[in-house]
Formats: sequence, structure tokens, C-alpha cells
Amino acid sequence: MIDFSILINNLDTYLEGFKNTIFASIIGLVGSFIIGVIVAVMRIAPIKPLNWIGTVYVEFIRNIPLLIIAFFFYVGLPAVGVTLSGFVAGTIALSIYTASFIAEAIRAGIQSVPKGQMEAARSSGLTYVQAMRTIILPQAIKIVIPPIGNQFINLVKNSSILGIIAGLDLMYFGDIVSSHTFVTFDVYIFVALFYLVLTIPLSLGVGYLEKRLARNH
Amino acid sequence: MIRFDSVNKYYGDFHVLQNINLEINKGEVVVVIGPSGSGKSTMLRCINRLETISDGELIVNGVKVNDKKTNINELRRNIGMVFQHFNLYPHKTVLQNITLAPTMALNQSKEEAEKTARYYLEKVGIPDKVNSYPSQLSGGQQQRVAIARGLAMKPEIMLFDEPTSALDPEMIGEVLDVMKALAKEGMTMVVVTHEMGFAKEVADRIIFMDHGQILEQGKPADFYANPKEERARLFLSRVLNH
Ligand SMILES: Nc1ncnc2c1ncn2[C@@H]1O[C@H](COP(=O)(O)OP(=O)(O)OP(=O)(O)O)[C@@H](O)[C@H]1O
Ligand SMILES: [Mg+2]
Repeated sequence: MIDFSILINNLDTYLEGFKNTIFASIIGLVGSFIIGVIVAVMRIAPIKPLNWIGTVYVEFIRNIPLLIIAFFFYVGLPAVGVTLSGFVAGTIALSIYTASFIAEAIRAGIQSVPKGQMEAARSSGLTYVQAMRTIILPQAIKIVIPPIGNQFINLVKNSSILGIIAGLDLMYFGDIVSSHTFVTFDVYIFVALFYLVLTIPLSLGVGYLEKRLARNH
Repeated sequence: MIRFDSVNKYYGDFHVLQNINLEINKGEVVVVIGPSGSGKSTMLRCINRLETISDGELIVNGVKVNDKKTNINELRRNIGMVFQHFNLYPHKTVLQNITLAPTMALNQSKEEAEKTARYYLEKVGIPDKVNSYPSQLSGGQQQRVAIARGLAMKPEIMLFDEPTSALDPEMIGEVLDVMKALAKEGMTMVVVTHEMGFAKEVADRIIFMDHGQILEQGKPADFYANPKEERARLFLSRVLNH
């Protein structure tokens, strides 16, 4: 049987971690979305140097482990005189890492809109920006929302790397509870449950949006 | 109104347009034919700079199309384009499809743009479809909306790239009728099509292209009855006997 006294006796510790995991997730969500949009625009804009920068970002960042990026900010930057807390370093790493996947999802969504749509809009005299805003993006958004939702779910789960760099998140406090109580299995069951409290609503939300978007066409 | 002067275009090493010289006057209806891959679409799309040229000069409405100083959006407002696959905006109604460019690019008021849209929908024979979405229309109806969308900008030139090739046979006529009426009203038209009936009835000139070159041009009656070039003859016999 799972020992619920562990949860009850350490509830404050768990909640402190839960709170920080929520903070890291929300900051990461906003940060990765903003960076992702910027990188996606760089990748598709009709300007070659921007395309290259965008491509390098995506291929570089998404192909190294998140933990290495987190270490870079946590233990790498102090070597050049910049010291960040585990929480800040981890959240930055999380944003930068997830942004590379979000940028790809947005780029794929925009490019899945048939070429003829842009051609029709441009040939009627609309500017590139007008065509993007009124014709391409509204069609791309339907394709893009489900994969972005999935990236957000991944982001919440990936925030557990904060635990490794003293980021004061759920995982970190889970470790602390475990070392106090000398229990492992049950402690982490409760950690997992806290993650589910965040990810299941997100997952349901994504599913709902997916269905709604499918209905309008 | 449209002038190609020794225009060449390459895709890498591939010489897709070879020394094109062509002058099209105001009010003229020109039909372009030729085998697949001969460069018909490419030539047409150069006129509104959907494709850029590699060298030579292309002047439309007195403006050098590929000049850096040319305001391409301004030029395009004066050139309507109709595509093989209609390219209507699927997330917008018929009315929104037609009013979008007039309101955004010409700054017309919504009322004015809608009035114009209804006028042209009447003209292409589907006034009752204003609030439908493209997916609710037949191919022929979609293409007629696309023509109305082009006309609503009141352009001086209309370009058509195989406007009936994607249509079921029973819908070709309704689209061609709209185009014929337009031709008879004096619109300057460049039409890539293999519809001989259309060409014979309203075209002032046929242009035959092959391998990126204009091989032959002439009046439709003469051209179809008696093509001079061997390749044109071969092409016609294949189109007619298929
Ligand atoms: N973006 C591109 N890059 C490289 N080659 C291209 C490109 N677009 C077209 N081509 C080539 O240029 C040639 C001319 O193409 P184009 O579409 O103008 O022919 P077309 O006469 O319109 O043919 P169709 O009757 O099949 O529409 C073709 O061989 C095509 O493969
Ligand atoms: Mg073509």
C-alpha cells in the first residue's frame, strides 16, 4: 500500500516544489512561445541570413540534451562571471530548448498552407505581412495548436530537470523528502501525481481545442 | 500594355524562358498554348512578378516589372490573376474572398467593396452564394468566384493559368462563358488554355510555346487551320485526337 502519511507529513515541502514547478512552467510556456514565434518567422521570412540563423538555432538546440543546456547556464556561466540560481538557469534552459520544437511546429504549420494561398493574396496586391496575417496564419493556427499543446505538456514534464540543478521544483523537494524519510517509491509516486495534476488538464485542453478546430472545417 | 523584350529566365542551369519577345496591346485577348513544361505558366507569372526574370526587360502598364524602384503591390492591384486550382481562401466566405483585397489594398470602405462584390457575383452568375464558404461550392462556381475576386479590383489586365483544367467537363462551359463575356467587353487578357473553342471565338492571337520559346503566333483561325511549325502541328494533332 502507498503510505499517505508521507504526503501529509511533508505537504508543505511538496507544495513549495509544486508552486515552483508551476512558476517555471508558466514562465517557460510564455518564454518558449515568444522565442519560438520569432525563430519560426526567421526561418520562413524571405531573407536568407535570417533563415540561416533560425535553422542553426533549431538544429543546434533541439539536438542537444536539455540537461546540458541547463548545466551550461548553471555551472558554465559562473565560469565567465555570471551566476544564476538553479531556478533561473533551469527556466531559461527550458524556454530555449522548448522554443526550438515550437518554432518547428509553427514553421511546419505555415508551410502546410498551400503555396497558392500566398500567391493569390500577393497577386491581388496585398503586402507580405498583410497576406501572412489575414490568409496564412489563420489557416496555419489550426494545424499548429495541437503540436504546440503537446510541447507545453513536454515542457511541464521536462521542468523536472530543475531538480538536478537545485531549482527548488517538485523533483528537487521530492528528493529532499526521500532523503529525510528514507522512502523512495512512495515519495516519487506523489511527485508523479503532482505532475499529473498539471499535465492532464493540459492534455484534455489540447484534445478539446483539436476537436473544436476540426469542426470549423 | 505588356512588353517582353529579349526576356530570359533560368532555374539554375535550366533555361526555362528563352529570348521571349512579345507585345500585347490594350484590349487584346491572347491565348497561350504548348506542351506541358514548355514555360507557359512561367511566362504568365512573370507578368505580375510571381516569377522574376533573369535578364531582358519586361514592361507592364509602362512600369519595369523587375525594377527595384517598382512598387510591386501597386502594379499587382492592376493585374487580376486566376489560377488552375482557384486558390480561394477556405476560411473566408465568398463575399470576404472578394472584398479582402479591395478593402486592404485599395482602402475601400466595407460597404463599397461589398457592393462591388455583389455586382461581380451577379455578373458571373452566382449572386446567391455570397455567404457560402468555398468548400460548399462546385469547382465551376469556385472558379467563377475567383474571377469575380480578380475583377473586383477593377484591373486593366487579367491573367488566366489553365482556368478550366481542374474542372469536370460539365462545368467548363460556365467558366468559359464568363471569360468570353469579359473578352468581348474589351478586357486585356492573357490566357493559358487548350480550349480551342474559346480561342477561336474570342482570341485575337494564339501563341505557341515549346521548350521555353515562342515558336509561332498568329490569328486563331489561321493557326488552327494551318500551323506553320512542325512541332505546333504535332502538338495540335495530339490535343485534338486525345
Ligand atoms: N521552381 C522551379 N524550379 C525549377 N524548375 C521549375 C520550377 N518551376 C517550374 N520549373 C520547370 O520549368 C518548366 C516550365 O514550367 P511551366 O510550369 O512554366 O510549364 P507549363 O508550360 O506551364 O506546363 P504545364 O502545361 O504542365 O502547366 C518545367 O520543366 C518545370 O519543371
Ligand atoms: Mg502551367
